[in-house]
Amino acid sequence: MASPCSVLVETDDRAEAAELLAIAEEEARRIELKFSRYRRDNLVYRINHSEGRPIEVDEETALLIDYATTCYAMSDGMFDITSGVLRRAWTFDGSTRVPSRHSVQRLLKHVGWSRVQWSNPTLTLPAGMEIDFGGIGKEYAVDRAATMIAQRTRSSFVVNFGGDLFVRGVRRGDRTWGVGIDDPTRTGESALYRLDATTGGIATSGDARRFVVYRGKRLGHILNPKTGWPVEDAPRSVTVAGRTCLEAGTLSTLAYLQGPRARTYLEELAVQFWIV
Amino acid sequence: MQLEKPKPPSALRDALHTAALALLLVPAATQAQTAPTTANTSDSPDRIDVTSLFYGEQGRTSIFEPVVRFTHLMQDGQSLSGQFGLDVITGASPTGELPSGQVQTRTSASGRTITSSAGTLPTAPFSDRRFAFDGDWKKPWGRVVTSTIGGHFSREKDYQSLGASGMIATDLEHRLLTITIGGGVNRDTVFPVGGTTAGLSSSAIISTASNQKSVANVLIGVSRVMSRRWMLAVNASESHENGYLTEPYKLVSVLNPTSGVPLTSLTEKRPSTRTRSSVMGSSVYHFTQDLLYSSYRYYWDTWGIRSHTLDLKYRHQFDDTTYLEPLLRFYTQSAANFYTGGLLQGNPLPDFASSDYRLGALNTITVGGTYGLRWNDFPGDWTVRAQLIRQSGNSSPPNAIGVQRRFDLSPPVNIYAVVVGYSFGY
Amino acid sequence: MKAKTICRMLIGFTLLLVAGCQTVKPWDRDLLAQKQMSFNPAPMLQSIDEHIYFSKEASMGGASVGGGGCGCN
Repeated sequence: MASPCSVLVETDDRAEAAELLAIAEEEARRIELKFSRYRRDNLVYRINHSEGRPIEVDEETALLIDYATTCYAMSDGMFDITSGVLRRAWTFDGSTRVPSRHSVQRLLKHVGWSRVQWSNPTLTLPAGMEIDFGGIGKEYAVDRAATMIAQRTRSSFVVNFGGDLFVRGVRRGDRTWGVGIDDPTRTGESALYRLDATTGGIATSGDARRFVVYRGKRLGHILNPKTGWPVEDAPRSVTVAGRTCLEAGTLSTLAYLQGPRARTYLEELAVQFWIV
Repeated sequence: MQLEKPKPPSALRDALHTAALALLLVPAATQAQTAPTTANTSDSPDRIDVTSLFYGEQGRTSIFEPVVRFTHLMQDGQSLSGQFGLDVITGASPTGELPSGQVQTRTSASGRTITSSAGTLPTAPFSDRRFAFDGDWKKPWGRVVTSTIGGHFSREKDYQSLGASGMIATDLEHRLLTITIGGGVNRDTVFPVGGTTAGLSSSAIISTASNQKSVANVLIGVSRVMSRRWMLAVNASESHENGYLTEPYKLVSVLNPTSGVPLTSLTEKRPSTRTRSSVMGSSVYHFTQDLLYSSYRYYWDTWGIRSHTLDLKYRHQFDDTTYLEPLLRFYTQSAANFYTGGLLQGNPLPDFASSDYRLGALNTITVGGTYGLRWNDFPGDWTVRAQLIRQSGNSSPPNAIGVQRRFDLSPPVNIYAVVVGYSFGY
Repeated sequence: MKAKTICRMLIGFTLLLVAGCQTVKPWDRDLLAQKQMSFNPAPMLQSIDEHIYFSKEASMGGASVGGGGCGCN
């Protein structure tokens, strides 16, 4: 995983803790190798270089694609795993440089899950398009690692991969795990909120690290797949609690994509959320 | 930016939750097994690269060189490549002789007629075809070590080359540092048309046997990621050549020591060993969208040649597949210690002598650019590189004698080179 | 420049590279992962250029090993 990962287990057995950590690490690595778009030796690479040919995928990939299809349908196209190509036009380095309308328009031609033929287990991606599980891969890895740890211990634990996490149970003495929500401007220094988590997933979307400044406005790195532009007037960060980390992560991304309507959107969904 | 038809919020949550559970409830054991078997032979990423070079020198050589390369990438990161290239060469090349001031015509040992008009450098016409095969095999060993081994075979009318090379690269410090060590050997054979002449003789054939030339080279390189947008590399290499290093058709004029009029021509002769060394620094810098590639090389060899090469390319990326990359290259070399404009009649013959302008003091300037594009919905990437290369030497060397002072002894050579490339994965 | 000076500079430069000064975290390697972020992003064009210069100049090599001999020089 391309970010700090940790596993907290409440146990007196050091060996057990080490074993559970190893399980989480191995699962995180497995998922990263399998779904990273930066590697040349995995299925994602072959799909992205298939040049319009049908590719048969394995069961796990098929399920992730099914999940992404559901997200796409339920969000009216705002959540789209083919939108990664738009990142080529953008460099979120805090500068004021934005790409030309023309280059964004060109890339938009290669975005749109509805243009992909998906008939389990065969995926046909038109030439020039790419898929990217970056938006759900980390959350998926958290849930997977949590599931595997849960099968091996009765202790309470937290799996945290780069800020997306899953918590199970309460600590001894009925205490909860405390999860801090960072001030996006001062990552890792001070927590703005402390929330008390019991079983479930927590995930955050935001622009803490990557943004550009355009006409005095700060634009975060999450791109709207319909316009090819970052979401304007979006909150700095949206944290959502859900039953799984995947659910929390997807909802926080969808809410962020609503821009100024993020708060209303989450209120309608009746989920626990924190907006900064 | 907005939901066009808002779904009932609870439906969205429930659908996501159901989909997430479907995904997460797959037993871990099943996934661990399915992961490695995703190797699907029908969708292996094979790649074809085709390039065609069109090369022309003003009034001299022209070359057409198509090359096709197949690459097969395997599941575990190994790759195999095979390449075939053909060179079709026609034109004329300077023989090394000096202008005579009179019309000059004569016949060479190889049966080729050499003619030139009074004040111009004599050239010899030639045509040739060259075939080249290259193959390499790249294999990762674990997460940080990669090896590459390669082979080469090429043949033309009077030259054959057989080579092998190997390279090992290791990533250290979380892939921020890469150390590369490599080496190669070549076994070449030169069999001049009409036989081999003795060096510094008037074209008397002494042997019809072929001549051997062997080359061994080593390279060590370090490259480092300096920041999120900057990479630097340093390479040092050394190459040792041994055997027949002479150009069989190049001649050296023998001049009248006072008038400068060429009296006769001798075949050239070069030492039979040469050690070449070079150090090179390279940098790649990524601006917000554009990239700057730069490199500098210092080269020296045991023939007394020193050279500096500066290479700059600036890549403007319009989007992921379209770019324009202007390029500039500056090169300057000093002369080999046995390079001579012409020998003087009556003086004792030196051990070695060559008038090949490529061993003289020389500057090369290249300007050009590369354009890369992909046509909408048409698979594959296209590149076009066009370059103008201008070479100039010392047109009026101070030691020129008599009539030679009237001539341009090193007229600038203008070269154009256009490469069209197409790359396609399937 | 003398070969000795060059070698000394090279060793110094190499030490600087090996010692390094900054680390780039995996999540900051988006630019580094691009295929154009390479010392030789177009190897076939590069080898054609090297072949041209090899046949027109006295120098060769520097960044790679192997390749083929040629009667052109």
